Amino acid sequence: MNWKKFFFAFIAAFGFMFLFGFLWYAKLMHGAHQEVPILWRTEADFGNHFSSLVFGHVVMAFFLTLLYARFVPAGGAGVCATLGILVALIYAGADLITFAVQPLTAKILCGWIAGHLIQFTIAGAMIGAIYKTDSRMTT
Amino acid sequence: MKRFILAFIAAYIFIFFWGWLLNGVFLKDVYAQTPNLWRPQSEMMSLFHWIIIGQALIVFAFVMIYASGFAGGGVMAGIRLGVLLEIAAIGMRLGFYAVQPFPGKLILYGSASGLIEMIIVGAIVGAIYKPAPARTA
Repeated sequence: MNWKKFFFAFIAAFGFMFLFGFLWYAKLMHGAHQEVPILWRTEADFGNHFSSLVFGHVVMAFFLTLLYARFVPAGGAGVCATLGILVALIYAGADLITFAVQPLTAKILCGWIAGHLIQFTIAGAMIGAIYKTDSRMTT
Repeated sequence: MKRFILAFIAAYIFIFFWGWLLNGVFLKDVYAQTPNLWRPQSEMMSLFHWIIIGQALIVFAFVMIYASGFAGGGVMAGIRLGVLLEIAAIGMRLGFYAVQPFPGKLILYGSASGLIEMIIVGAIVGAIYKPAPARTA
């Protein structure tokens, strides 16, 4: 494993996922989320739990990067994007289950599924593109 | 293809009963602490098909990743894949915890059980499916 490339890929994945999450879920889907306000923490309460959001993204980005580095050691944007789509399908399945048990609207469900597909495909392509070159020389 | 279908069915049966045992029996009291976050029982039952489809999608994607050769082969490869995917999912769960008023112990129990679940799913898929050689490009 090339840890220098891994580190850069992880940082890029974290930065992208956090920024995308903010734009997609917090900004673009803000109106949809407000249709069921009972499901969300208040602004103040969210502020108290913000560290969980950051730490959660760190964990997610780190282990996704590890997944790609471990299972696609040669890297490559295309192959990693494909793996990203498959990973996104797992999260889409979880979204469907959440829809069945929590009073989400269909709009929120569709937004979450689309968000996961875009997020994990692009994150996968980024990780694959960054991790690519040196790992080919070391594996 | 036959092994793919067998692995899918075996993992799906496990995940279905594990989900029922965990969420419907063991964690029932924890869920009851936040009734406003959940649909009423009757409403959940009317949407039960989405649970079945969602679980099937999770298992299908897992077996697809494994069968695509990303993970290599064997029970340990399946377990490794399950562990990596689940720890990433714990990160996602922490994100949900930040925005939804879930009790902390629901996240803790959900994450621990999720890890056990994906380890077993990985072992099942790894034991049943014999993948093609791992992809390198």
